[in-house]
Amino acid sequence: MTPLLEVEDLRVSFPTRHGRTEVVRGVSFSLGRERLAIVGESGSGKSQTGRAILGLTPPPGKATAARLNFEGQDLRNATPKQWRDLRGRRISLVMQDPKFSLNPVMTIGRQLMEAATRTSQTRAEAKDHALAMLEAVQIRDPLRVFKAYPHELSGGMGQRAMIAMMLIPEPDLLIADEPTSALDVTVQIEVLRILDRLVTDRGMGLIFISHDLRLVSSFCDRVLVMYAGKVVEELRASNLAQAQHPYTQGLFNCLPKIEGGIRPLPTLQRDAEWAR
Amino acid sequence: MGMIDITDLAVTFGHGAARVQAVRGISFSVQRGESYGIVGESGSGKSTVLRALVGLAPVTKGTLALDGDTLIGRRSKAFYRRVQMVFQDPYASLHPRQTVDSVLSEPLAIHGFDDREGRVARALDDVGLGLGFRFRYPHQLSGGQRQRVAIARALILEPEVLLLDEPTSALDASIQAEVLNLLDRVRTERGLTYILVSHDLAVVAHMCERLMVMQHGRAVEELSRADLHARVATHEYTRTLLLASEGYRVSDGAAQGAAS
Ligand SMILES: Nc1ncnc2c1ncn2[C@@H]1O[C@H](COP(=O)(O)OP(=O)(O)OP(=O)(O)O)[C@@H](O)[C@H]1O
Ligand SMILES: Nc1ncnc2c1ncn2[C@@H]1O[C@H](COP(=O)(O)OP(=O)(O)OP(=O)(O)O)[C@@H](O)[C@H]1O
Ligand SMILES: [Mg+2]
Ligand SMILES: [Mg+2]
Repeated sequence: MTPLLEVEDLRVSFPTRHGRTEVVRGVSFSLGRERLAIVGESGSGKSQTGRAILGLTPPPGKATAARLNFEGQDLRNATPKQWRDLRGRRISLVMQDPKFSLNPVMTIGRQLMEAATRTSQTRAEAKDHALAMLEAVQIRDPLRVFKAYPHELSGGMGQRAMIAMMLIPEPDLLIADEPTSALDVTVQIEVLRILDRLVTDRGMGLIFISHDLRLVSSFCDRVLVMYAGKVVEELRASNLAQAQHPYTQGLFNCLPKIEGGIRPLPTLQRDAEWAR
Repeated sequence: MGMIDITDLAVTFGHGAARVQAVRGISFSVQRGESYGIVGESGSGKSTVLRALVGLAPVTKGTLALDGDTLIGRRSKAFYRRVQMVFQDPYASLHPRQTVDSVLSEPLAIHGFDDREGRVARALDDVGLGLGFRFRYPHQLSGGQRQRVAIARALILEPEVLLLDEPTSALDASIQAEVLNLLDRVRTERGLTYILVSHDLAVVAHMCERLMVMQHGRAVEELSRADLHARVATHEYTRTLLLASEGYRVSDGAAQGAAS
């Protein structure tokens, strides 16, 4: 069976005063109908990898790849029309900054309706669908949030509105960039439950970008670990604690613990070799 | 009298059908040099409490005081010299057309600091960003890099009180440890007072001596660090929070599957 997504030698670069700098340096992986996590250092290229898959590398940045296939379709030379059919329909991206990707001058309801009218027969049906999604992501008062503008929501509510919007079209591939970073753990688990069901029951493929090691090791199937633009390690999520790369190994030590621990927290001794 | 005293605070947004009672009667005090945590449900009013302190939320009841002085109306320049806030959404709090350099040096100029060059360089270094980031714009940074610029901006004025709203939510464990150590060290060295909002109980356990648990605009309980270490909680919501902190269990998904 062809994988849902194949990425080979993906590179993203930006012009700087010292010439072009590569921030993603040859990333390769393939994705089935599974939960794949990308973890890695802040600035290691996780978000840029996610954006490049959708052809959303911000100019003047440039993305190239030896191969970038979605269900066998070559995304590298997709036409604007092809992208319109893919983005937000078959492939959805939950961006790291919800406030940045929600339109500030449009109510949450209008934005959800735009997504929902494509899949619904009537406006009433679309509204029901939108409200049901808000409820599914544990919004206490869906009707109020439906009428609210993004700035009237808390950080976690904005994040959930964004997730609701991306899930309405029932995509085949969801790229979720730190989708639960602003949520308290109880709500987080509800949101993961929804994603879990979409993968298990509907066969959606999920790329889950996160820095939360505990969450990733318990929720995902496989993990890619990125460091300085490269995938330095790939392993089963349940084996994350037995990682081989010193960056990954060191991460668990740095975590504070509810039970208490050492002060100051252990930090990583980074080796210049890791970034080669 | 504490460094921060909040008595029976209520904050209400909007009118009529759109009325939202974000905070419904909250009281707590934070002593000078203490670090106080706020955890709680998403939308429970945590950010609103911090925003009320810096004068950015419509207070409808109660009083707020800094070092014994009641805070009313627009906050003065002198207030911001003493109290700095790291906002939850770093993207919204950094002006898109301002370089990192001007984000950091502008407050220094406003408050008449000397050696601005040196201070900017040290502030960047402190949060693990080299001078190479100095002339970048916010959109040229990763999520975690933006968050670190926001922290550097708050620290650069050497305030007495820091209000930190989910300051490490976008950082991986290694950078988070460095930032938490930095905040901890600065507090010990300069006797700073912190209020830290986080959804990560382990971060709060590490950073704060006491904490308040909020739900739906109210404080449901106050715990000490020792309570948290021992996982002693009396309120149902806090217990759920402690349990959920263990991670996602397969049964979480299965339970729902069976019900639907
Ligand atoms: N427009 C740009 N110009 C130059 N460099 C950029 C630009 N956008 C991003 N970068 C750099 O690319 C690198 C990768 O960024 P990316 O956003 O993918 O990181 P990330 O792994 O998602 O980090 P985080 O966990 O902090 O969100 C970063 O070092 C960032 O500074
Ligand atoms: N400007 C505003 N107008 C209307 N309602 C608002 C406004 N700002 C906040 N609210 C509402 O106040 C409530 C509390 O929001 P707040 O941002 O304080 O929550 P929070 O506890 O910080 O949540 P999170 O953990 O998700 O960030 C929410 O219901 C929110 O929708
Ligand atoms: Mg990112
Ligand atoms: Mg908040």
